[in-house]
Amino acid sequence: MKPVLVLACGNTLRGDDGVGWRIGSALQDEFQNEPAESAVEVILTQQLLPEHAEPLSRSNTAIFLDCSAIAQPGVVSTHSLSPAQSLPRIFTHHLDPASLLKLTQDLYGRIPARAVSITIGGKSFELQEQLTEPVTAAIPIAVQAVHRAIVASEPERRAATLVQHPQE
Amino acid sequence: MSQTITIDPVTRLEGHGKITLKTNDQGEVTEAYFSVTQVRGFEKFCEGRPYYEMPSLMARICGICPVSHLIASAKACEAIMSIEIPPTAAKLRRALNLAQTIQSHALSFFYLASPDLLLGMDADPAQRNIFGVASANPELGRAGIGLRRFGQHMIELLGRKRIHPGWVVPGGVTEPLDPAKRDEILGLIPEAYANIKLALDWYKRIADRFRDEAESFANFPGAFLGMVADDGGLEFTDGKLRLIDAKGKILLDKLRAAQFEKHFGEAVEPFSYMKFPYYKPLGYPEGSYRVGPLARLNIVSHAGTPLADVELKEFKQKANGPVLGSFYYHHARLIDILHGIEMIERIFGDPTILDKHVRATAGVNRLEGSGVAEAPRGTLMHHYKVDENGQMVWANLIIATGQNNNAMNRGVLQTAQRYVKGDKLEDGMLNRVEAVIRTFDPCLSCSTHAYGQMPLSIKLLAPDGTKLDELRRG
Repeated sequence: MKPVLVLACGNTLRGDDGVGWRIGSALQDEFQNEPAESAVEVILTQQLLPEHAEPLSRSNTAIFLDCSAIAQPGVVSTHSLSPAQSLPRIFTHHLDPASLLKLTQDLYGRIPARAVSITIGGKSFELQEQLTEPVTAAIPIAVQAVHRAIVASEPERRAATLVQHPQE
Repeated sequence: MSQTITIDPVTRLEGHGKITLKTNDQGEVTEAYFSVTQVRGFEKFCEGRPYYEMPSLMARICGICPVSHLIASAKACEAIMSIEIPPTAAKLRRALNLAQTIQSHALSFFYLASPDLLLGMDADPAQRNIFGVASANPELGRAGIGLRRFGQHMIELLGRKRIHPGWVVPGGVTEPLDPAKRDEILGLIPEAYANIKLALDWYKRIADRFRDEAESFANFPGAFLGMVADDGGLEFTDGKLRLIDAKGKILLDKLRAAQFEKHFGEAVEPFSYMKFPYYKPLGYPEGSYRVGPLARLNIVSHAGTPLADVELKEFKQKANGPVLGSFYYHHARLIDILHGIEMIERIFGDPTILDKHVRATAGVNRLEGSGVAEAPRGTLMHHYKVDENGQMVWANLIIATGQNNNAMNRGVLQTAQRYVKGDKLEDGMLNRVEAVIRTFDPCLSCSTHAYGQMPLSIKLLAPDGTKLDELRRG
């Protein structure tokens, strides 16, 4: 079990929409040398999918990292998440984090003890690979927010490690 | 009073389409159209590009079956190069294509179709989705996720990316197989077997509840096309084509990709961007045929792997000849998955799979080439023409979903006439009209690649609906 799962969403070909993916990619590099039992797993994805329910069910903390089309450009927001009470009537190709948590609960009977969404307000979603200035400037703030969420998960991480290594 | 019923968008399929039903004064459905409303244009904008770019460029048509496009495209390029690829490269491609078939079929069966099968066609639409499946039968949902993950992870291991891997190139693949990856794939096989066994057992338990749908979901005599191995067995990547009629008589056999154009044409209808391929000797629309999982099982004599052979034998007992009901695409999809897992186990259990010779090279030796592969949804053709410098001057793609176009339209009419009465519309009726389309698992992104002959109809209507003028093209 990887105690912390980061689901980093985005499309790097659609301007600011790629910011979640870019930050996730940097986090992958940062955490790749961590010991296995304390490692943070980062999944890069264009969108949330039902198959993400399985790794979510194995994690103690989930961090959903994505661009927001609603928030002001460059504004980083952190929100706690719970499983959705009502679900989308039509499911075809995308899921929101709360619905994915609900799906995880129904399929595997277990969800992370802590789930947060960290969003970065986007400015332009045109066909381009560059981020806009306010979104680029927000990346360090978003990375700090991810680190805070990881630190906040320490009790769960330690507990998970103790479960895996009871002799310690 | 006559009326027009529109289902837009049609849900739980790949892409965007709409269904239009027209009723007479008695409320009976008299006409039905399945329209694909998007346009792509890949055949046109590839012109002028070097032929060796085609696999990676053409694969962008689809995020579900890019591997089949990669393979059909690479084979068309290899025909232009006049080369035969190394045997290990052929095996690796075959395994990759099967992995894609598994993940695509898992999406179709578990995510899109199983809500109807598990909860019923008349169930509350708010429940009739993957969430409803998770709630009612989590074990089935987990099996579906497991199979999709198996296929996708294998594609990622081999091609470095789950979607649009660049590993398949003209001449073979870019790098040989790492033994660690082979071992990891083999380690995933037991869970894949357990998941497909669970799904097959479950499907066989519930299938009888849908006898009525099996009778009326695009159930009619017609031809079937697909790829077969040299010994007549199931083959997805390196076989030749076979066409049979509704009684099982072989109309064409051992057909190579380059011969396809001689026997098959493409018609255009004004209500859809998707073309309508047909078998030329029978003309259009009589020469329309079906492809995909049902066609594959109908045209082969055997699967070629032990567990799938048992299932195929049982499947063929449904009819005295080809199984004609399109509802059975669902069952056929599960047998495809089982065969795929067995073949992957066989391919990666062969020590020669680690051979380092995986790519042949050559330049332009012919100015025209065709390639074919079985995509999850059926036979996929890529046909290219190049100039002396290897620049693309023309391309034509014949997509699986397009080849099922006529059958889908006939199926919509048949199902609507059975279930829809214009004076009393209920959700379950309309869901069945959508569900007949879902049996084919159409991929509309793939199938709207046409250009230059776009059917276009613009109608100017008065407020009372009277047609004042119409412009039509195509």
